[in-house]
Amino acid sequence: MSRAARTVAALVVFIVSVFPVYWMVLTAFKPTKDIQSATPTFLPASITFEHFGTAVAAKGFFSFWRNSLLVAGGAVLLALVIALLAAFAVARLQWKGRRAFVLMVFMAQMTPWEALLIPIYVIARDTGMLDTLWMLTLVYFMITLPFTIVTLRGFLAAIPVDLEEAAQVDGCSRGQAFRRVVFPLLAPGLLATSLFGFITAWNEFAFANVLIIKDQDDRTLPVWLSSFNNTFGTDWGATMAASTLFMLPVLLIFVVLQGRVTTGIVGGAVKG
Amino acid sequence: MSRSAVLLVLALALSACGAEAGGGEKQEITVWLMKDTATDEFVSKFESEFEREHTGLDVKIQIQEWNGITQKVTSALASTDPPDVIEVGNTQVAQYVASKGVTDLSGRKSELGGDDWIPGLAEPGAVDGKQFGIPFYAANRVVIYRKDLFEAAGVTPPKTRDEWLAATAKLDQGDQQGIYLPGQNWYTLSGFIWDEGGDLAEQTGSTWKGSLNTPEALAGMDFYQKLQALGDGPKDSDEAKPQQTDVVAGGKVAQFIAVPGAAKLVAKANPDLAGKIGFFPIPGKTADKPGAVFTGGSDLIIPLASQRQEAAYEVVKALAGEKWQVELAKTMNYVPNRKALAKEVGGDPGTAAMAVGAANGHATPNSPNWAAVEARNPIKEFQTAVLTGADPKTAAAKADEVITQALNSGK
Amino acid sequence: MTLLAERPVRTTAPAVPRRRKRVVLPYLLIAPTLLATAYLLLYPLLRNVIISVQEFGLPQLVRGDAKFVGLANYARVLADPEFWGVVSRTLWFTAINVVLIMVLSTLVALLLVRLGKWLRLLVMGGLVLTWATPIIAATTVFQWLFQSRLGVVNWALTTLGFEEFRDYTWFADGEATFGILVTLIVWQSIPFAALSLYAAMITVPQELYEAARIDGAGAWRVFSTITFPMLRAMFGLITCLEVIWVVKAFVQIWVISQGGPGRATTTLPVYAFQVAQSLQRYDLGAAVSMLMVLLLVLALLAYFRQLYRQEREA
Repeated sequence: MSRAARTVAALVVFIVSVFPVYWMVLTAFKPTKDIQSATPTFLPASITFEHFGTAVAAKGFFSFWRNSLLVAGGAVLLALVIALLAAFAVARLQWKGRRAFVLMVFMAQMTPWEALLIPIYVIARDTGMLDTLWMLTLVYFMITLPFTIVTLRGFLAAIPVDLEEAAQVDGCSRGQAFRRVVFPLLAPGLLATSLFGFITAWNEFAFANVLIIKDQDDRTLPVWLSSFNNTFGTDWGATMAASTLFMLPVLLIFVVLQGRVTTGIVGGAVKG
Repeated sequence: MSRSAVLLVLALALSACGAEAGGGEKQEITVWLMKDTATDEFVSKFESEFEREHTGLDVKIQIQEWNGITQKVTSALASTDPPDVIEVGNTQVAQYVASKGVTDLSGRKSELGGDDWIPGLAEPGAVDGKQFGIPFYAANRVVIYRKDLFEAAGVTPPKTRDEWLAATAKLDQGDQQGIYLPGQNWYTLSGFIWDEGGDLAEQTGSTWKGSLNTPEALAGMDFYQKLQALGDGPKDSDEAKPQQTDVVAGGKVAQFIAVPGAAKLVAKANPDLAGKIGFFPIPGKTADKPGAVFTGGSDLIIPLASQRQEAAYEVVKALAGEKWQVELAKTMNYVPNRKALAKEVGGDPGTAAMAVGAANGHATPNSPNWAAVEARNPIKEFQTAVLTGADPKTAAAKADEVITQALNSGK
Repeated sequence: MTLLAERPVRTTAPAVPRRRKRVVLPYLLIAPTLLATAYLLLYPLLRNVIISVQEFGLPQLVRGDAKFVGLANYARVLADPEFWGVVSRTLWFTAINVVLIMVLSTLVALLLVRLGKWLRLLVMGGLVLTWATPIIAATTVFQWLFQSRLGVVNWALTTLGFEEFRDYTWFADGEATFGILVTLIVWQSIPFAALSLYAAMITVPQELYEAARIDGAGAWRVFSTITFPMLRAMFGLITCLEVIWVVKAFVQIWVISQGGPGRATTTLPVYAFQVAQSLQRYDLGAAVSMLMVLLLVLALLAYFRQLYRQEREA
């Protein structure tokens, strides 16, 4: 493929992937009467911040953000810690039942979570866990755990055992060796893996809707995102403004991590 | 820690307990209202005045979002400590009552002024002769029109269907749309069908049957098609996609069909149109009777699992009572739950047009399974099929099959 | 086959290995995972199975005392001719989506490898944006793009001279709606697959490519003899994940078409939702979801078997 053809192909991929996102952000800045117009405008004729105002002024704005950060962050952290232990066992140690365990983790990814809405609701109700952010955190943790184990295991496998052993020879205990040698090498992988879990937990609506009932201060961001519906339909300007704000944290993490994210995920998956 | 400090802490702890015991006597009542049911001012005014009259109660009104509301109410009904009063759509009462988790309020009906309730709210609130849902407020669709465009075309608000078609045809010129009617506005179609004497489904004994493939329903659809052609409403979509108030605000649209409150959104999106918007009831077949409309609105229910039944009832009684009914109807341009109160709120032109139509209000088939029909909505597909050129009878028969199946499933 | 061959070895192995204390460690390490999985996944799954053999609707959810009905719910679902239509539609939907996702992602990844730094960053940035977009917002925008009157797609097609697309009603037609949903899901899925494949491709030693090129191998030959075999595990994993995700796709379909027009876009999760939530027959919904898991396991059996075999070698 010639250089020119590659450039054209790259631009096509870029435009196709970005256009809907661009349309979303554009809508967020358009005055309401221009949102649905007969001839589409691809550049804003006039810009308004009104929709962002509506989105930010929504009741409970701060508690939505705080809860989502707590729940998504908590779930991801918990998943990382527990997955790291399991991943270490799978990648570094030989034991009976290891294959069965790996298979179980893989199959756990197939769980039809939407179908477990009712059983999980019933369990939460019967154990007094309704209306708690804890329950939500636990569910999101479980949703992300299998993927986290699979990827982390791959990262660990990619780090030569010799390094660890060398550290042990130098007088480190096994735990110290892990902490001082393996962990720093693993850090990008940990971050990359956590991003995937974060996006999942950040977007989840169905469980948040039925597990948080009476305690309105415990509601999460996806509820906010769909809160610009009224009896006449939806305030699309505000919804798109909210969506734009909603994706900022994820973008921020991406920017901070940049290349590590992708090389990270892969490192895990290649060995997976 | 020194001895005195310990004592101090103890004393504080004890006094805190005392205060709590004193405050604990106040019973907390949680009430769920839907988003946009009332204004913030109404809510706080109600809370404070109600608490002044009922000193032992602490009312907390929580505003619920529309998205996922069925799942939310279901999970509330099934929980051990549900909200004490819930506002639900009038057509949804039957579905929730089927859970056997809703308190039967039949015994209180006369105390609440039940003889004067408007049927569009009272009937869907009752299941097997028992009153579970207490009428809260109603609203129905009217025609919202641009006065300036009507004037320019030299037409006045029509009184009959024929006049309506003629006027709309006259308004549908050039880039101006006579009416913006999306192909899937099935509530409006239902009105046309009721006008012809038909219905969406019919019940014999305990068996339901879809009835779109009847001469009456097909005549209703025929009129819908004629009207729909006099504008650029999308044939494969409803009034929410795209949001019709946005379309009207941005384009040259002479009329659209919605509840009166929608006019405010149009004026908000395009301030130039404020003051140019008028209302008239949906015209009927003859001038002496307005067109049939779907009565939308809400009922109040009390979950059986609520441990504060009496207090919850007090809240329902207040919200459904004269004082707050008039207040709510005035602030929100609703039809109040009692016929006698209709006069009290006649001032607003939108509400006035709505009240005329309300006299010919109808409800969707009263079956707990009706929600399942709406979830797949074969009526919308029937409309789109006919508007895009399919044979009406075949399309209607296909939709009937789905309606019949949904309404009879689970039996 | 290896699965079967393995079994006797496992059962005849000593039940309690009495070697050194160290053997306890792995079990300690996986204990939290096992505990969490048991309580948060297996237990709810078991409850779901129980619901699927009970009469469990809204009244039972609210008041308890559900009746055991054996396999009646399964029988009812399996006897529903609509169910089998839904199953085959789901298979088609998944196959079309996954093939498109894998082919396009591979092409994008190959392209990324060959791009200069700036263009590569640009394309990767675009993919990342797509990935971060909330599903609900992306779905709404797609719906707008395909509106019949005010949609950008019809506007563009008409402007390009395709007059038959003036006011074309995409959502009135089953196949068109199906196509739009495929487009949407492929669009949303490409970033993850393409970025992962790209990152895997750069781990392949350059010398291999150079050697192949010296031998005069064309692009396709290089891909089929070097890139693909080297990254076989990666392709397997991503395909497997995409199959799982596409089969489970729900929000997109529900928001755009609610499974319609007719049944044209009703896949298994949509069907399960209609049964479980609209009719509030949670028992039937549970049965459908268990059948869906069964189907997924069957579909991915070959992959799991290979995975199991691979594990022994590791």
